[in-house]
Amino acid sequence: MSLIGKSPERPDAFDKVTGGKAFPVNVKVPGMLHAKLLRSPYPHARILSIDTSAAEKLAGVKAVLVPSEVPKRKFTPVYFVPANAGSMVQDMLIMSDTVRFAGQPVAAVAATSLRIAEQAIELIEVEYEELPTVFDPEEAMQPGAPQLHDHATNNVAVNPVMGFGDLDKGFAEADHIFEGVYSSHRVHTCYMEPRVCIVDCDRQGNFTVHSSTQHLFGLREKLAFALEIPESKVRVIKSPYIGGGFGGKLDMGYIEPIAALLSRKTGRPVRIEQTRHEDFITTARHPIKVYLKTGVKKDGTFTARHAKSILDTGAHATHGAEVINVHGVFGLLMTYRCPNSKWEGYTVYTNNMIGGGYRGYGSPQACFAAESQIDEICEQLQLDPIEFRRKNAWHAGEPHPMVQGLTLDSYAFDECLQSGAERFGWSKRKKADSGKGTKKRGMGFACQPLWVSGCIGFPDIYEHSGAIIKLNPDGTADLATATMDIGSGQITTLCQIAAAEIGLPMEAVHMVQNSDTTTVPVDAPTHASRATYSSGNAVQAAARTVRERLLMVAGIMLDISPDQLSVVDGKILVKGAPKRSLSVAEVVTRAESPFVQHGANGPAPTTLEEKGTIIGVSSLAPKANPSPVSVEFVEVEVDTETGVVQVLRVVYAHDLGKLIHRNGAEGQVEGGFQQGMGYALMENLQFDPVSGSCLAADFLDYKMPTAVEMPRDIQSIFIESNEPSGPFGAKSLSEPCITVPAPAIANAIYNAIGVRIRELPITPEKILAALGKL
Amino acid sequence: MKTIELLINGATHEVSIEADETLLQVLRNRLDLTGTKKGCDSGGCGCCSVQVDGKVVYSCMMYAAGAAGKAITTIEGLGSGGTALDPLQQAFIEAGAVQCGYCTCGMIMNASELLATTKNPSEDQIRHAIAGNLCRCTGYTKIVDAIKLAATRTAG
Amino acid sequence: MALNLEDYFLPASLQEASTLLQRYGDGAMVVAGGTFVHGLEVRGLLTETVALVDISRLGLRGISESGNGGVSLQALTTLAEVGAAPLISRNPAFGSIGDALQYPPRQILNVGTVGGCVAAAAPLYDLPAAFLALDGQVQASLAARQRAIPLNDFFVGLFESALQRGEIITAIELPAPAARSASAFLKLETNANDLSILNVAVRLTLDKDGKCADSRVILGGGVGETYVRATSAEAALRGQTAGEASFAAAAAAVVDDFEAVEDHRASAAYRRHIAQVYVRRTLGTALARLG
Repeated sequence: MSLIGKSPERPDAFDKVTGGKAFPVNVKVPGMLHAKLLRSPYPHARILSIDTSAAEKLAGVKAVLVPSEVPKRKFTPVYFVPANAGSMVQDMLIMSDTVRFAGQPVAAVAATSLRIAEQAIELIEVEYEELPTVFDPEEAMQPGAPQLHDHATNNVAVNPVMGFGDLDKGFAEADHIFEGVYSSHRVHTCYMEPRVCIVDCDRQGNFTVHSSTQHLFGLREKLAFALEIPESKVRVIKSPYIGGGFGGKLDMGYIEPIAALLSRKTGRPVRIEQTRHEDFITTARHPIKVYLKTGVKKDGTFTARHAKSILDTGAHATHGAEVINVHGVFGLLMTYRCPNSKWEGYTVYTNNMIGGGYRGYGSPQACFAAESQIDEICEQLQLDPIEFRRKNAWHAGEPHPMVQGLTLDSYAFDECLQSGAERFGWSKRKKADSGKGTKKRGMGFACQPLWVSGCIGFPDIYEHSGAIIKLNPDGTADLATATMDIGSGQITTLCQIAAAEIGLPMEAVHMVQNSDTTTVPVDAPTHASRATYSSGNAVQAAARTVRERLLMVAGIMLDISPDQLSVVDGKILVKGAPKRSLSVAEVVTRAESPFVQHGANGPAPTTLEEKGTIIGVSSLAPKANPSPVSVEFVEVEVDTETGVVQVLRVVYAHDLGKLIHRNGAEGQVEGGFQQGMGYALMENLQFDPVSGSCLAADFLDYKMPTAVEMPRDIQSIFIESNEPSGPFGAKSLSEPCITVPAPAIANAIYNAIGVRIRELPITPEKILAALGKL
Repeated sequence: MKTIELLINGATHEVSIEADETLLQVLRNRLDLTGTKKGCDSGGCGCCSVQVDGKVVYSCMMYAAGAAGKAITTIEGLGSGGTALDPLQQAFIEAGAVQCGYCTCGMIMNASELLATTKNPSEDQIRHAIAGNLCRCTGYTKIVDAIKLAATRTAG
Repeated sequence: MALNLEDYFLPASLQEASTLLQRYGDGAMVVAGGTFVHGLEVRGLLTETVALVDISRLGLRGISESGNGGVSLQALTTLAEVGAAPLISRNPAFGSIGDALQYPPRQILNVGTVGGCVAAAAPLYDLPAAFLALDGQVQASLAARQRAIPLNDFFVGLFESALQRGEIITAIELPAPAARSASAFLKLETNANDLSILNVAVRLTLDKDGKCADSRVILGGGVGETYVRATSAEAALRGQTAGEASFAAAAAAVVDDFEAVEDHRASAAYRRHIAQVYVRRTLGTALARLG
């Protein structure tokens, strides 16, 4: 146990500081071609004709692909659901002759060099018939608006409605009713490594795939489905790590199936790497507009809440069909206790780019609405905002509000509120707009009271994980799993869990590089804050088997019952007899040794039961879905002449069950704050209102915080509530770190200057306008 | 195509290039020096940072032909080989400044110039020095910590 | 792909460079640090370019005093070298230059050049605004001819300057500042690696009574195709006691001096507002620098 909660060196760090060789972007396959996609300049159009003859004649061009050549089975590219999942919408083709957003691929070229491929796509002549466009989801829902898909009346892709209690009665019981509209915008995950893939099709139609992906098995399944081939025909190679994901690599892109088809056509491996501009139009957090109405008693008890959320899913439903549910359930319906609640979600097609997964998955949009409105209520009713939240909160031991049959076994909201407030100095907060001078300071906080540690209990979402651990004669262990390390430290925490469970030093456990879908158990993606909890449970289970087998062999060697033995730091210890210890290496060597060995007295047999590799294999779904809890306090300074907001300091308190890797956990909080602050204040993926084309070519147009804008002081408090179903008591961390900054900052801005901004991002302009200065 | 000579990490490389190839493209595609990363290809992210005559530059914005004859240092040229690391590399590992790692090499090449020119830089100096390098994982906190740690060690 | 480049030249002399530029005409671009050219390339604005003429081997580097207290910055001096030059940093009159160099990241400071940021003729750059506030002039060379062009006359339009075909900037000259002069610069940016949304450079020259004998108020960023000299703001300062009241008057007047750009980075109204705030703040900084 001594390893748990420490900060052992990350096993992947050495390679990453000396050259980072193992990124997918570095993969080269002999004979590979380079492909480039031709993308539509129009947001809504029908392709009348495509002339590829000039491109095909260009020297070095090996194949051209057009929409008429792709399989006709529609699919959802989302990795973590079955391809035919009933809760999702199968509305995409690899290439279509109807264009629904500016940037949709309409043709592709594979050539001997990228330069030739780039030249070739310029030679393709496409004749389009432009169609009427709609970019605003509420306009798209109106009768008579341009329709994007035949199956979606008024462009509504999905329309979940959930609730309980009696809404009318609840509002009738309320002493006060608050209503507000809270809107959010499109932001990009900005993974630093572009999306890239290499697909190699052999002459028997077997595909080998390298990709910068968050999910090996999801890519295998989605690619096979889209190509209409059996899954065993697709082998996805695991990259040891990828250059960031944050949910932005949680679906199959256009590039993988297009590269696959081009490879099948040419018989050569085909590589596609996206430009930063292409990445910007590949995935984004969905804009959601939330209409939120809340009834409260004088004392601040919720009596009724009604929310309506309109999500702009763009040209295809993809993640939008699931984000809307997570948003509604975990952001609005179930965050606090309220007896009468109703929520309606609308996932609406528009001619905007397709939205994607992004850390928080619908929750940041909801948390901004809900936590802003709670502060508005508290301000108007002069209630203590900490006490208000405490009063309406869930408690440990209660049934899980969402997942039937589960309870909130560990749940330390109170401790988060209290320790965070104390460390931050919340009691020093002044009344709103009480500062003097040009620059005014304010304090605010926000909470994510309910979240997940994976997806157990939710319709259609995969959740199991698996691991293989085997010991080597030198006393080390190899751990193989399909769990992707997307930067958030899975290699480290999973090795740490394995080492701690078996009883090995950290450096003795190695994550196997380049596993693939034929060699490791199925695993859900690295997403939904699940890897430490779910994959960690699977690794711990495999490690337990390894330890049991290790002790069994050691017991034979020492002629002692295994229950008298333990493994500590690579040594087998005998209870009460410290001198009889064996090293793990000795035990494994014995297990791997020939049955009959030639010793000093000639050949002699050993025992048969001890023979064989000491190996543990697991494949399991976690028993529960414990909720982490997070609370974040921030102090801001607002320049009331320029509207510029500077975040001065942050205190973040989070119940994560048990801390596994302290430094890594802090990194999640600090990195999450960068993304959350960017979302709150500056990041905005913008589009031309007429042409619908993305205005962001690169990071000159898409602004995210640099080291200069970031607060100098970010403190993390980790509350250990010891979750009984988690590995060593752990549950989850990642996503609440990014959810709470925007409302915390909005609330702090209100406290500084006394104006409430309900539309993200809170730019300097909006602040000045709200102050009446523009 | 024309042939140029590039002096990289102390060794001369003769490469045939197109007129418009950037130093980044030549390093990655022709010389397999893949430690230098492409993140945006337009001088906005810093993943491609290398040093030219001791100064940190965006290799995506420098034409390879223009870099001929200059002393180019990439991440592969830092440290003294084997497991012997540059103090910055060591500090990045120890401080936990590495998450996904895609920005790491560029970040280190940038910080390496700072430490060569500034003894014990202040936090403000460090943050401004790395403003041309984006990181999406760490929030920069531990990167700043790592640079401070390396600065302390190299100054002392 | 942005370039249809046929060749990349590294001329060894100004003469050779000019000849190349004349030969290729509009098909040629000069490369100094390369950051501007690459920015154009990424945005698909270099499709007509067939030749790049890299002048980085021409020397033209260094900063020197020009006898009477003025300063000459040779064209290929990097922004980092300017920032580190005591001749600049020790003189409050040149404060705007130091201010402007606080913004770019190291990777730009190390390669961007004095001549390059001027020759780009794009008001999004910071340093030229400071040079304008200091009444700088361009030294340009074409074959044997060397001529001086006041910066005030240099910027003709977006990406258009007074340079003739084949003419190359060799230096930027700043005249000796009048006694009791100081300058300052501010830039509005969203993060610390950004092109100016708006920038302001001012220079203040006081007489012995603390009144404004002379001033320059220059606006850059989203203010149109070229930098703007804010003459109304300057007029509001003239003869007035330097201080809050006159600075506020200058700030109020500046909105008459330019038409703010409206784009996805900022509204025109916000740019107008910031111009006023920054005029007041930069004047305040300049005054403070006079002690």
